[in-house]
Amino acid sequence: MFPKKEVVAMLLAGGQGSRLGVLTRKLAKPAVPFGGKYRIIDFPLSNCVNSGIDAVGILTQYQPLVLNEYIGNGQPWDLDSMHSGVNCLSPYQAVDGADWYSGTANAIYQNINYIERYNPEYVVILSGDHIYKMDYNKMLDYHKEKNAACTIAVIDVPLEEASRFGILNTNEDGSIYEFEEKPAHPKSTNASMGIYIFSWKELRKYLTEDELKEGSSHDFGKDVLPAMLDAGERMFAYPFEGYWKDVGTIDSLWEANMDLLDPKVTLDLKDIYSRNPMMPPHYVSNEASIQNSLVADGCNVYGNLEFSILFAGVTIGKNATINSSIIMPGAVIEDGAEVQFAIIAENTVVGKNAKVGQKPEEMENLDDWGITVVGANTVIKENTVIKAKTMIDSDTEVDGNEK
Amino acid sequence: MRSNNVLGFIFAATLDDKIPELASSRTTASVPIGGKYRVIDFDLSNMSNSGVNNVGIVAKSNFQSLMDHVGSGSAYDLSKRRSNLSILPSYDGKAFSSFVETIYNMHGYIEHCREEYVLISQGNVITNIDYTDVFDFHSKKKADITLIYKNHAIPQGYDRPITLDVDDDGKVNQIFVKPGVVDKEAKFNHAYGSILIKKDLLMSEIRNAISVNHLDVRRLLQSGLGKYSIYAYENKGYCAAISSINDYFEFNMDLMKKEVRDELFNPQRPIYTKVRDDAPSRYGLTSNVKNSIIAQGCVINGEVENCVISKGVYVGEGAKLSNCIVMQDTKIGCNTNLNYVIIDKDVTIKDGRSLMGYDSYPIYIAKKSVV
Repeated sequence: MFPKKEVVAMLLAGGQGSRLGVLTRKLAKPAVPFGGKYRIIDFPLSNCVNSGIDAVGILTQYQPLVLNEYIGNGQPWDLDSMHSGVNCLSPYQAVDGADWYSGTANAIYQNINYIERYNPEYVVILSGDHIYKMDYNKMLDYHKEKNAACTIAVIDVPLEEASRFGILNTNEDGSIYEFEEKPAHPKSTNASMGIYIFSWKELRKYLTEDELKEGSSHDFGKDVLPAMLDAGERMFAYPFEGYWKDVGTIDSLWEANMDLLDPKVTLDLKDIYSRNPMMPPHYVSNEASIQNSLVADGCNVYGNLEFSILFAGVTIGKNATINSSIIMPGAVIEDGAEVQFAIIAENTVVGKNAKVGQKPEEMENLDDWGITVVGANTVIKENTVIKAKTMIDSDTEVDGNEK
Repeated sequence: MRSNNVLGFIFAATLDDKIPELASSRTTASVPIGGKYRVIDFDLSNMSNSGVNNVGIVAKSNFQSLMDHVGSGSAYDLSKRRSNLSILPSYDGKAFSSFVETIYNMHGYIEHCREEYVLISQGNVITNIDYTDVFDFHSKKKADITLIYKNHAIPQGYDRPITLDVDDDGKVNQIFVKPGVVDKEAKFNHAYGSILIKKDLLMSEIRNAISVNHLDVRRLLQSGLGKYSIYAYENKGYCAAISSINDYFEFNMDLMKKEVRDELFNPQRPIYTKVRDDAPSRYGLTSNVKNSIIAQGCVINGEVENCVISKGVYVGEGAKLSNCIVMQDTKIGCNTNLNYVIIDKDVTIKDGRSLMGYDSYPIYIAKKSVV
């Protein structure tokens, strides 16, 4: 018998995240390292705990090994209580067959039993690819106050960027009358943050109906929410103010990391919990120089660092230069190497005097510029040059001096 | 692992009278060290990593910070069905005066534990040692007692150190107390207080000693030399025994040496500590850090050289810190100038202040002070 919970959170973490390329080849997107010691999923998980939500189901499907291992028993987030906590929910076999999660709504549908154990009033649906701090309680209060069936968090985006988002058009009281997915001519600047609160009874009904519907893609944005709107359910937009960033692409992941170095950005990492590596404090040598950077435990810095983020256990060799880059756990940048505007994934080795990435000012044609990404466990040989906007990993052949 | 048969015993207050500043509000074992650790983290980790899964910490007084730090022992994997960490304060409310009386006081606890062997160690020792090797040595030599020693110059705070004359086989020929040597550089086989012994033998010897009122452990060992087979295991690794504020300072500075870090922080035998959720440390545009150890959660805007900076420390713009040890959550103001200063936790150094110690005499700023 499970004690009743007012709210259960369901975190969608099963997508492939193909836009992150080599970074998610063997890793689910929510497990991608972020901000020097975190993984993306630490943000929604910490938000849940800090909002007093202690029953969290994580829907996993794509490459779940690292994610499952990282979540473990949920102890770093205080999600290891006796009668609640965190559970990784993978697709399973049942008497009448077995199915992969065919869409976000189907993933929740297949776990109705998990939710019902807690007999909740409300269900919060979250995604595992956003960086933000939010008190879900405030949103829940708003949901209750509006007596809504569904509340969707929205953030005000600049008009010129609005066509990249799902836009919600609302009446004066905040009620939604229209969804527009990436509209060419947006009518408003309320972008959906992918955070939904549903009254469970209603959601359950619409999930069950959607499951039986022919041709449905079983997706919240495409199927369930429009169906609710068509049926005239009370749906409201909850305006959120503060830092929020979708880190689903290489550029946005890089930008969100760089935002941590910008004193003007309001995202404070206090109260974001994570699994901590057992490593000593970092060492900075006599030859080193570090400006405007974040450095985690276990690093050894002998080279030069500016506008960069070092995760735990990174080594930067003598006369190596790291500029505007993100170096993930355990990577080694050998002596004299140059890493600029790049993301170097876990345990990769950049050989002596190799050059990875380029500054935008070095480019003849700015269209050829972009962030360079090197996947996990890759070895880049000495003196290799890897150009801007390149994406390689351990399976990519790099020979001579050019990729 | 075979050494699960060993009960660990750490004395938390070893030589706390020799570091009165640091140990005024805490035990030696819980003195902050190396940026994110407490002294006892090293030996608790050694025991845990060596399969010594039942550990008692003998606490004399002032042990609130110790209790807060070690908690249930879960950070060291010592809070499981098959592992345990206990804090053992004085049984009768009186502080312990000698090793013999302390062990005697604990006899109920010791006899209750199922382990056959006892490993005793001291809360002032920093080393990364595999105790399974010590246990194997003890078994192979069929020893009754094994003393762990380090061949080094005796740290200055030891008044009556135990030194050993050891033969090639590791057998102890002679046990000396306070050798009459004034040469500070001379090296001795220093038995720094780590002892492996069968529980029954320990308890019978302690009972005998109490009955004839021989309370000095040194004398007990010396008189046991003819009776028992006493062996000595050499700790060949890095080993610091904190016996003075200078030792404390030197140990922290030793961490700037790569070989010391590589040995102490061997990834195969990690050192555990209580976790705090600090963000990575942030270096500002005006930071300039050389040859220093920096923990997480810091904001560094000033110049830092040859320093150990603990978690959550703030260093303001224009500050100049050389040869300093700064403990957690201290705030160093702008345009300050500090040299050879040991700054305890939660201190505020206001803008523009200057403090100068000397390498043989680092000055100490107490916890929560405002300068």
